[in-house]
Amino acid sequence: MKVAYFSPLPPERSGIADYSALLLPALRERIDVEAVDRGQRKPPRGTDLCVYHVGNNPDVHGWIVDALKRTPGVVVLHDFVLHHLVAGLTLARKDVAGYLNAMEREAGLPGRLLALGVVDGCVPPLWSTRPEDFALAGDVLDLARDHGLIVHSEHVRARALATGFDGPIWRIPMPVWPAPPTAPAAVDGDPVIGSFGFLNANKRIPQLLEAFAALRARHPGARLLLVGPEAPGLELERRVASLGLEDAVERHGYVDEAQFWSLLAACDVAVSLRWPTMGETSAGAIRVLSLAKPLIVSDVDAFRELPDDVVLKVAPDEREVETLTAALLALAEDPARRESFSEAARAYAAREHELGHVADLYVAALEEAAGGPAVREALLREVAERAAEVELDDPDRIAAALREVGLGR
Amino acid sequence: MRIVVAHAQVPFAHGGAEVLAERLTEELNARDHQTALVTVPFKWYPRERVLESAFVWRMLDLEEVEGRKVDLLIATKFPSYAVRHPRKRVWLVHQFRQAYDLDRTDLAEFGESAVDRATRRKIHELDRRTLGEAERRFAISQNVADRLHDALGLDAEVVLPPPQELDYRFEEYGDFVLSVGRLDRAKRVDLLLEAAAEDPSLRVVVAGDGPDRARLENVARSHELNGQVEFRGRVDADELADLYARAGAVYYAPIDEDYGMVPYEAFLSEKPVVTTTDAGGPLDVVADRLTGLVTAPRARDLAAALRHLREHPEDRRAWGKAGKAKAEKVTWDAAIDRLLS
Repeated sequence: MKVAYFSPLPPERSGIADYSALLLPALRERIDVEAVDRGQRKPPRGTDLCVYHVGNNPDVHGWIVDALKRTPGVVVLHDFVLHHLVAGLTLARKDVAGYLNAMEREAGLPGRLLALGVVDGCVPPLWSTRPEDFALAGDVLDLARDHGLIVHSEHVRARALATGFDGPIWRIPMPVWPAPPTAPAAVDGDPVIGSFGFLNANKRIPQLLEAFAALRARHPGARLLLVGPEAPGLELERRVASLGLEDAVERHGYVDEAQFWSLLAACDVAVSLRWPTMGETSAGAIRVLSLAKPLIVSDVDAFRELPDDVVLKVAPDEREVETLTAALLALAEDPARRESFSEAARAYAAREHELGHVADLYVAALEEAAGGPAVREALLREVAERAAEVELDDPDRIAAALREVGLGR
Repeated sequence: MRIVVAHAQVPFAHGGAEVLAERLTEELNARDHQTALVTVPFKWYPRERVLESAFVWRMLDLEEVEGRKVDLLIATKFPSYAVRHPRKRVWLVHQFRQAYDLDRTDLAEFGESAVDRATRRKIHELDRRTLGEAERRFAISQNVADRLHDALGLDAEVVLPPPQELDYRFEEYGDFVLSVGRLDRAKRVDLLLEAAAEDPSLRVVVAGDGPDRARLENVARSHELNGQVEFRGRVDADELADLYARAGAVYYAPIDEDYGMVPYEAFLSEKPVVTTTDAGGPLDVVADRLTGLVTAPRARDLAAALRHLREHPEDRRAWGKAGKAKAEKVTWDAAIDRLLS
């Protein structure tokens, strides 16, 4: 069986490129898989199945969706919200009708009118202001219907099903790079709290700063590492100063892999909040768990699926700062609890996200997607022919029995 | 209770699995249950027949017969457990191993085509659902239970099946090593023949028939083992009991066997068993230097083990007796208590 693999790959800078760089060698140990060069729209000759990694960035994934439209296949849906991608594939290519249609499909006539407002410039771009309200995943899901969908969370599975998607869905955990042996960076603080990744309002950085200030009032030695580039408009410096945290917050912009692990290793607790989400699973959070660090996440969407003994969860509601403060204090003041979360995190990452395990699940899904329809059709044909030979015709009973044992659709 | 024992049967083949299903039915009937053995032919080639065979089981209605409820159903091997019943229990003899541990081995059934790969996955899915829905799952050996758990994450309690009824007795430690079982490649009788080639003083009696017999006879001829190895073909119960009673030791070393009744039968005749480290099920009961010898799967090592037993009568006697004590605990009373509990 030969698989054509459409994905961004390094040196392209994207989380999904890193994901594929990790996964591809493990897949190659198990099946014949060929990575397709960026920009190619056709799979190599002899391909049995195409796999398309689709995320929300049109610059990174536009060519992949173009190829998907030519040759349907299995879609790995990294984000459920694809508004930015769809805008890039339509408006950015002067396909206004495409965008209007996508919005109408998503939200009916009001959606179309809203999209017209965007096109006319009287409504701010929805992909920047309200993408979570208009996911626009429908067209990509249509293209995945025959071969199936790979998702990383039950949250995305449920959202796909809610759109009426009735193709096969496989939930496969995200693979995680094995944590390298890392010496902790020299960070002066007790406790050290860390937040890693792009710093913006969705990552709840303002709320984190407030909660950290409350923690510091009880623990003057506490230090907060903010690691990652800052989004425009966050006004991080002003926020830090207004809370009097200049001496307690340590900023790092983009860091390389070695620095990332070393800074993470220096943390006593990591915080990975997000709201609203784009339906994604956070690779950063999984990496934190693989290094056995106690982790606080938002109690939403895919994050909610993390077991309660592995992470502490904070709902993004009106008491968010209060709850987050309590969680930080609980971990700061209870080493036994930190240790318990640490052990649970290590075991969870090894069990769920280990590369070999993930690759096995991928191979199972791809093998089923590639030959499953033919196997199913052959069986159905045989059963139907035998039934017809003796003039027995109870298709409903036959179809129900086939579904019960995983042989139907 | 009215009980159905469900068993997939390859017509004309009659091995340990068939003996087990028949005996289970008899033993349940002997305990005042009304029990029927239901068999459906199984064909595994061409590959699409595997799923068809499974689907036939699914279409059967065994919840009631002649208007009377069937209280319990005990399915045995693939794909009989695909049958639907509200009180389905499975005493798992084996899954379709070609879809699991035998895939991409010499004994593989599925190739690398997309359809072959998908058929194998469909079998996994079918097993996951139909074994998963069972009220209780038992396995005939730790090996079978482990395979089920490793492949599908499903647990099963181990209930060992008792050996067939024979006139088990001890007469002597004779000058031959006995091999019992259907002759197919997985039973690895050729290893014993190669051991005989290593040690010209070794005498072997092979009881059993099967598709690999002609090849094995050729192997014996090519090693010039005439007079050293005797192929008896399929033997009846009396002859088998007689062979067990007079053998010096019993060889039983299939490749990763599900269970294997042969060691228990040997033990009931107070004979030590020689097996290999990769034999699977037999290792549940053949313990090295306690009830027999466990060697690496190499002819030289096997020959040395068999020589040791010949040259150390005190060991073979002690290990044979220890085996008998173990085998005597594996009874139908114990098995049925667990299966119906």
